[in-house]
Formats: sequence, C-alpha cells, structure tokens
Amino acid sequence: MKIPLKYNLRSLLVRRVGALMTAIGIGLTVAIFIVMNALVNGLDSTFVQTGHDNHLVVLRQGALNETGSYFDRSIFDTIRLLDGVKRDPSGEPLASGEIVVIINHPRISGESANVMIRGVSEMAFRLRPEVQIVEGRRFRHGLRELIVSRSLSNRFQDMQVGKVIRIARSEWRVVGIFEAGGTAYDSEIWADYDDVAQEWDRPVYSSILLSAADPQAAERLKKRIKDDQRINLQAFDQKAYFQEQTVSSAGIKALGYFIAVLMGIGSCFAAMNMMYSAVLSRMKEVGTLRALGFRRRSILSSFVVESLILAMAGGVLGCVMALPLHGLSTGTANFMSFSEVLFHFRITPWILLQGLIFAAVIGILGGILPARRAARIRLVEVLRD
Amino acid sequence: MKFLPFLLRNLFRNRRRTLLTATSIAVSLFLIATLLTVLSELNNPPTTPDSALRLVSRHKVSLGNLLPIAHAEKIRSVPGVTGLCGSLWFAGVYKDPSNFFPQFAITTDDLFEVYGDDLKMTEAEKEAFLKDRTGCIAGRKLADRFGWKLGEKIFLEGSIFPVEVELTLRGIYEGPDETGLFFNWEYFNEAMNNWNYCGFYIIKVASGDLAPRVAESVDALFQNTTAPTKTESEKAFVLGFISMLGNVQLLITSICSGVIFAIVLVAANTMAMSIRERTREIGILKALGFRRHQVLFLLLSEAIVITLGGSLIGSWGARLLYSSIDPSQVTAGFLQRFYVTPQTLALCALIGLGVGLVSAGIPAWQAARRPVVDALRRIV
Repeated sequence: MKIPLKYNLRSLLVRRVGALMTAIGIGLTVAIFIVMNALVNGLDSTFVQTGHDNHLVVLRQGALNETGSYFDRSIFDTIRLLDGVKRDPSGEPLASGEIVVIINHPRISGESANVMIRGVSEMAFRLRPEVQIVEGRRFRHGLRELIVSRSLSNRFQDMQVGKVIRIARSEWRVVGIFEAGGTAYDSEIWADYDDVAQEWDRPVYSSILLSAADPQAAERLKKRIKDDQRINLQAFDQKAYFQEQTVSSAGIKALGYFIAVLMGIGSCFAAMNMMYSAVLSRMKEVGTLRALGFRRRSILSSFVVESLILAMAGGVLGCVMALPLHGLSTGTANFMSFSEVLFHFRITPWILLQGLIFAAVIGILGGILPARRAARIRLVEVLRD
Repeated sequence: MKFLPFLLRNLFRNRRRTLLTATSIAVSLFLIATLLTVLSELNNPPTTPDSALRLVSRHKVSLGNLLPIAHAEKIRSVPGVTGLCGSLWFAGVYKDPSNFFPQFAITTDDLFEVYGDDLKMTEAEKEAFLKDRTGCIAGRKLADRFGWKLGEKIFLEGSIFPVEVELTLRGIYEGPDETGLFFNWEYFNEAMNNWNYCGFYIIKVASGDLAPRVAESVDALFQNTTAPTKTESEKAFVLGFISMLGNVQLLITSICSGVIFAIVLVAANTMAMSIRERTREIGILKALGFRRHQVLFLLLSEAIVITLGGSLIGSWGARLLYSSIDPSQVTAGFLQRFYVTPQTLALCALIGLGVGLVSAGIPAWQAARRPVVDALRRIV
C-alpha cells in the first residue's frame, strides 16, 4: 500500500525552514548548471545558425579559417564563372569575393579585443539576406565608411552611428548598424572591399562565398575546386564551416560540467543530511506507519519521494533564478579566427528540463540512504522508546 | 581550551551529520579553490627574470597585420635594447589540425640572448640548431607528446601561409613553457620567396627600469610609417590574449558567490538542527553557571571546526591533487601550470571561518539567550 503524498508534503512543511534552505541550496546548484549550459548553447547556436544550404565558402587550400586565408584576385573570376554557380535573373553569378582583416579595438569596459572587419561588395548582402540595416545606411564606395553589428556597437567604444574610428592610417566613419539574426556575422564590421584592401595594402581575397544551383552542383563545385591544382583553393559548405568553429566552446563546456558535478555532490550531501535528520526525528511516526501495516517498501519509496519533492522544489527555484539571464549578451574569443564572437545566453526548454533532471538525480541520490535507514526501523524498538 | 574535549564530544555525537556537512563544504571549497586558481593563473602568466626584461612589439592595428623585417635594425639602434628577435606565428598543421601546438618562425641571431634561461638547452644542441637552417627546437613537453627524438623530421603545412616546411629537431628545451616549437625565420622567408615580414618583435632590454622608455621610443620610431607599432611588456601582451576570453572574472566570481551562499545554507541548516536538538542541554549548561557568551562561544566554535575543517580539506586537497597532474596536458597547453597559491588557501580558510560564523550565528545566539526555565521545559 502506498503512503499518500500529502504525508510527505506536510512533513516537509513541519520543517519548513530547513527544507527551504536545502531547496535553495539545490536551486543554486541547478541555476549554475543552467547558466553554464545556456552559455555553451548560446555560443554554439551562434555558429550553428550561420549559413544557408548550398552556400559554399572558398578558402586557400590548407587554411582553416577566413582570417588565415588569402589568394590572388584574378582567381575570383575563375571561380564565379564556374558551371553550377547560381545566377540571378540578369545572369550575374551569385558569388561574393571578400577580404577579412582584424583590428584590435577597446571595449567599452576598457580592455581591448580583436574584431573582424569584412570588406565586401553589394553581392555579400544578397547572399546573406539575414544581414539587415537597422539604423543609418549602408557604406558607400571609396569614402572609408563602416557598418557595425548591433552587438559590437553595444560593446565597443566609438562604434555608434556618426562616430569615427581611427584605424592605422585613416579615419573611418560608422554610418550604419546592422543585425544578422543571431549568426556569426553579428560579431563583424563590414566595409567596402576596395577601401579595406587599400587601407591594409592587401589586394587579395580572403574568401569567396557563393551560392550553388542545387546540392549536386555544390558537390560538383567542391570537387572541381579541390581538383584544380593551379588555383590551390578549397570549398566548404558554409554551414559546416561555421559549425566547426563551435570548438570555441569546448573549454566552457568542460568547466561547466566540472562545476556542475562538484556542486551536485555537495548538494547531494546536503540533501542527505536533511533527510537523515528527518528520518531520525520521525522514528516514532515511521514505527506507527509500520504498525498500521505499511510495508517497508512503501516507507522506503515514501522517503525517496519526499527527498525528490524537496529537490524538485529546488530545481524549479533554480530555473526561476536562472531565467532572468536569458538573452543577456556577452562575448568571448573565437580562437579559430582570433577574434571576438558575441552571443546571448540561451535558455531553452530542453536546458530547463536537464536542470530539473539534474535536481531529481540529486534528490534521489540524497534520499536513498536515509530512506533505507527509515525502512529498516524495527517496530518493537521504536514503539518501546 | 579546556572546553576542547566537550567540543569534540559534541561534534562526534552525530558523526554522520558532522561528516556529511564537512564533506559537502570540502567539495565546495575544492571547487572554489579550483576556480580561484584558474583566475589567478589567467591573471598572472608565469614570469621569469628573463621574461620581465622582454617587450613585445606588434603592428598597432592588430597581430594580424605583419611588420617588415626592416624594422629590426631600427629597433636595435634604440638605446637600452640588448637583443631582438623577429617572430611569426606560423600556425602550421602537423599531420592533423587536432595536433595543434604553438609554432614560431624566429630570427636566431639573438635568440638565446633574448630568451636566456627560458630556453634551457645544452650548448651542443644550441649550436646544432643555429647551424642548420632547417633545424628546429621543441619544448620538452611537446617532444614527449609526440615522442620526438633529436634528428626527428617534422613536416608542417602552413594554414595561414601557403608554404610547407620540413624541419629537423636539433634541440629540446626546458623552461617555463615547454609546449612550443621554434624554427629559423630565414628558412620560412626563403620559402615565401623573400617576403621579408614577421609578425612581431621580441625585444630584450638591459634593465626593467628602461622598459617603458624603450617601448615609447620604439613606437615613436614608426609612428608615421605604414607599419606603426604597439610595444608593451611581454606580460601585458599575454594578458591581452586573456582579455579576449571575455569576462571570465565576472563569471567565476559569480559562480564562487553562488557556491559560498549554498554552503552557508548547508552549514546553517546543520547547526540549526544540532542546536535545536540540544536546547535542554544548553539550558542545563546555563543552570550550571555558564555565561551567555561562553555558551555562544562553544556553539560557534563547534560550527567553525566543521566549516574550517571542511574548507581546509577541500582547498589543500585541491593543492595536492593539482600539484600531481600536468595542466598543460589536460588543457592542450592553454594553462602552463596550475598552482593553488598560499593566497588562495588563505582565502579559502577565511571563507570557511566566515561560513561557520554566519551559519551558526543566529541559532547559537537564540539558544544562548533563551531563558533557562524556558529551555529546560522545552520538549524536542
């Protein structure tokens, strides 16, 4: 026969101060677990969300990243005129030659970080419809003008519309702010290709982004580019290219698990403490339950359930504590490109569920030993006391 | 002190509870000690007498912009400069990108003058390296990682530069960072068709006092050229990379505060339970003539023994554990050492003390001021 849940709830209420403290303790553990997961998730999804099907990124053979790639400008025409590159109604191939450079620029908080500048032409916008100007306007050719992502603009000095940034030899004016739908492009500055190539004295392309007509064409193009020894280039699926950069989060991930496991052990002991004390102070009650005919098994499960309720209350509390962080923006280094990547804490229902499962594990592990102790109570001894 | 046996007896009356609480605190303090050590290692890169005399000069715009090798002679003429290396982050792939390790193409004229004891090798190895244009030297840990022996052929395919280099291992060095590989810049430059650029300059100065002046003079030299420089101490240069990681400080301090708050709750819970159970006893103590502050003192010390004990076990455990593993292996060279400093240990002890005081404070104070009659009458 099962002991009613109400018994557990009321028992917890009797020791409400202690129960609440234990629950808050478990809640903090769960909250930290959720926050670390949200951090990793936010960073990863920035990369995972970037890219379109059938888009290819072309880099120099052997380069692992756009920042480490450059090749002669004359190759661009060879690539864009290849068979299989999608064309617009006017017959223009959808391929964008781009240059990527890095500047070291102070954050609003003072210390400096590397930021990526992408030199592009009109075509870059057409291949990335997610990039939308939300304030100001696009840059114009030859005027040393920049557009800056909203996230960068919030985080770095002098990156607001109308401000002027001094880079090496010239002054560049910020004329627009763009948003890129939470993709990796949200961590970039864009400017006119010729302006950037001139300023950096690098008449080269770092990468070509192109749209293939269909999946088969994409495969053919990849093979075609790889096989051509003269151009020495390599094409990647745009999506796969960005997905590879999720290695940036490996360190945070490891740290997160380390913290979660240790805090989980600590909370487990705390829950155990609480439950032992509950069992010991309720010996008589348990004896009475046994005398009434409840089986040992029922008593065991009843105490585990009580511990579980306690931990789940903590889990819910943890979710509530962590939720306000959702959407908070932050940044870290993308060590593939040596530049700053900006992202948001992203708490998903799945992460919350994981947090609750984590709490449940703490509750069960913490409750099982005390519950066994309760189930083993010998009737005669207790009732005689 | 004469109450010590009394204190210990009380601690051991509910051994399981004491143990669970202390373990929970020990685990938490182990975590805090680890996090604080991560922070302190990131903020204090290992320094040596030689590294304090080194400056790094890079392109003002960013490390991604390279500097002409012609800068070298001009920098050398700055008073106070005793040695100079042009260096370049080669970022080659050894067999597979996952085998990543730092590789530098470096000018070798002043190499051993600039690095001194930070590149410790036998004279024979140094000479062999200087003589062989395609030679290279690797750190002890790096050599161990791939099982390299002297004379080993090492093939690197550039991921930034479109060249491949085939190197011969001529020396294995020891020093504060043994995870890198250096090879001759001349060889790289030849492969690049005499391209004549390097990534940054490492400048050795005669004394630490001269460093700021030298840095200023170097930057002034190139202020109005196409390749202006930014010169800073090697430590500042390294910290620049760390700051790229973002706000690690905030993340770690907030996690630590969360953990501390959680253990305060755990300890407070324990103390509240154990004091509540002893209300009658405390009444008896007072009836025997113990003063209020004596009772308070006894209860607080009991809590502190548990929390301080737990924190010492946790933080010293961390120190012992981390001194027996090599962090550069675990973190792929990101952390060179992982040393729980005396300051961290002291801070952890302080946290243990504080947690004990805070957690036992309220229940102990309540128990101490409860009227004797009330306490004796109370049935638990």
